[in-house]
Amino acid sequence: MRELRYREAVREAIREEMEADEKVFLMGEEVGHYQGAYKVSEGLLSQFGEKRVIDTPIAEAGFAGIGIGAAMTGLRPVIEFMTWNFSFVAFDQIISNAAKIRQMSGGTFDVPIVFRGPNGAAKQVASQHSHSVDPFYTNIPGIFVVMPATPRDAKGLLKTAIRCNDPVIFLEGETLYNVKGEVPDEGEEELIDLGRGRIGREGSDCTIVAFGRPYYEAMQAAEKLAQDGIECEIVDPRTLRPLDIELLAESVRKTHRCVVVHEHWPYGGPGAEIVDQLQREAFDWLDAPIARVGSLDVPMPYASNLEDFVLPTVERITDAVRNVSYAK
Amino acid sequence: MAKIVGLPKLSPTMEEGTLAKWVAQEGDTIEVDDLLAEVETDKATMEFRSFDKGVLLKILADEGDTLEPDTPVAIIGEEGEDIADLIEEAKNYSPKSDSDSDSDSDSKSKSKSKSDSEPESKSEPESKSGSNTAAAQKPQRKSGDRIFASPLVRRMAREEDVDLADVEGSGPHGRIIKRDLDAFLEGGGARKKSSSSGAAGWERKAPVVEKASQMRKAIARRLTESKQTVPHFYLTIDVDAEGLIATRQQMNGSLDGEKVSFNDLIIKAAAVALRRYPKANASWIDGEIHWHQVVDVSVAVAVDEGLVTPVVRDADRKGVLDISREVKDLAVRARDKKLSLEEMQNGTFSISNLGMYGIEEFAAVINPPEGALLAVGALRDAPTIRDGELAMGKRMKLTLSCDHRVVDGAVGAQYLQVLQRLLETPSTMLL
Repeated sequence: MRELRYREAVREAIREEMEADEKVFLMGEEVGHYQGAYKVSEGLLSQFGEKRVIDTPIAEAGFAGIGIGAAMTGLRPVIEFMTWNFSFVAFDQIISNAAKIRQMSGGTFDVPIVFRGPNGAAKQVASQHSHSVDPFYTNIPGIFVVMPATPRDAKGLLKTAIRCNDPVIFLEGETLYNVKGEVPDEGEEELIDLGRGRIGREGSDCTIVAFGRPYYEAMQAAEKLAQDGIECEIVDPRTLRPLDIELLAESVRKTHRCVVVHEHWPYGGPGAEIVDQLQREAFDWLDAPIARVGSLDVPMPYASNLEDFVLPTVERITDAVRNVSYAK
Repeated sequence: MAKIVGLPKLSPTMEEGTLAKWVAQEGDTIEVDDLLAEVETDKATMEFRSFDKGVLLKILADEGDTLEPDTPVAIIGEEGEDIADLIEEAKNYSPKSDSDSDSDSDSKSKSKSKSDSEPESKSEPESKSGSNTAAAQKPQRKSGDRIFASPLVRRMAREEDVDLADVEGSGPHGRIIKRDLDAFLEGGGARKKSSSSGAAGWERKAPVVEKASQMRKAIARRLTESKQTVPHFYLTIDVDAEGLIATRQQMNGSLDGEKVSFNDLIIKAAAVALRRYPKANASWIDGEIHWHQVVDVSVAVAVDEGLVTPVVRDADRKGVLDISREVKDLAVRARDKKLSLEEMQNGTFSISNLGMYGIEEFAAVINPPEGALLAVGALRDAPTIRDGELAMGKRMKLTLSCDHRVVDGAVGAQYLQVLQRLLETPSTMLL
């Protein structure tokens, strides 16, 4: 199997789906002539032309709404937010239109649209541009929320998302774009179902649920803990809505302990939802309360050392695992 | 001169009493006949009044103690007296050896002094194997303390049949975690005795053992005695209740708000029937037959702890409304345990009614030394013959329990016949 960067995997997914279905098009700020703010869409304009790779003004509410209308009339738009922080001005389009049209039209209209872009903190982009938006979007019925951590998951899930007949919120990561990972060779099409998680590392002593960027911190924490004889099992739900609770619960029933790691703030969100569902699904198998490690409950500081302090660190994850394992 | 006050025998049958409440306190000045305490006996909660005057110098028995008569409970004397010797004497008090054969065996050991009385044995019996040292070391947990254990440990304990009270917890707040239970089981920790655990996930618990109240013991003793010594037989008669229903409606229609019940009417009818057919109003007492000249009807009243049978005196001579009021008053006071002994003794005949629970008929245990007891079943819809025609009617079954020593089959049957006529045509009670 070859290795690709996350950004290349996302690009391949878009390209393959655009090649396979002429109704698929890409729209967003600087996706065309600039080749994408993070170079995700590099080369797509020259391959597919201006009709299918569309540069927009800085007007998220506008192009999100245009995308929804296009989806209602039979196209399959892929809408890129330069970062998910800018989706807030398009929030009404997403929550009131994309997520509601099927229900309000009595099933007359599908809205097969993908909103995608980088989520979470980058390096020193300060509080207004460092949001983990997953808690906002996972709260909405009527949409899927996908948050892949690896290049392979990003490609397989994005292809499925583009083929999905409902709105999909697709959360990538600026600090993930350069991550390299194995992806099936060209010609070997892989579609990954929405709502299906993946075991990233097997272990017997404690389950770590992790998704998005902190998946890698969790992996490092697991390696450290293994040196002390604590074998962690890492489960990545990959899709946050709907949640693959059965896979998560199965792991917890095996390890009896669980730490949920997420980049979003601690109040509510998918991190809390996972804990809630797990304590019901695996209550009789728990040997300790489920712990959570997330960003601290503050707006993101600009200073680099403080940013590192606020984000979930390897050390905080290992501490949490030791805590639920009653280990020193 | 100070003296020890013993627990008085507050009823002729009292073998022990429970000190329900001290009304007087140490230091109180006591006059003769002042209320000292309330004592729960086999019959009722009785007042324990002082025969002496002076100052209550010392209380020797705690509320809740169950004691035999004469057990020292207090010292009364003059202010400032030295009572050290009396306290010593009271401590050394031992109950008179009790050779009465009829006292049940467990009542003998009841007069425990305070020092050796165990805490309430409400907890389930524990079982442990003493052979293993790991298991023999019980964790330092006060009785009644909550056992903290993880959900996993609770499930494992159910499956492994381990009593978590035997396991030491090493987690936060002493929480028992998987590691603790694993260590306990590896060390050969004891399973509960009943390894015959039921279906998975179902915890089979031992019965909860509770000390019987005085009332329960009295019920147990008297009914066992009745069923073992009185030759019971039972006669059932089916009564057309249409007349009774109509009469009750007329009566209640003429009353201003008050209502008489079917039971009140049945008490009246049963009493009138006893007056008209007195052979069923008799008792066998020590080889003699007592033909009662009064009709005193004991009425069974269910209370929280069991039942009591207050007596409606001269029920044959009283109006139904008077009977009704009296029964209501007796029932309320029975539930409040405020009935006097006199009100519960010396009935000549009993009535017990379970009709309100839908019981069609039942055979009750005679209340000795009474010779018979009438058990009243539910009013029910039933086909009935009226003027030679089959019709839907209301009927009621009455079962007479008879003491064959004084009430023979034919006697009981004729009594029921008289009663049946009165109930079917209530106006004939006026004759």
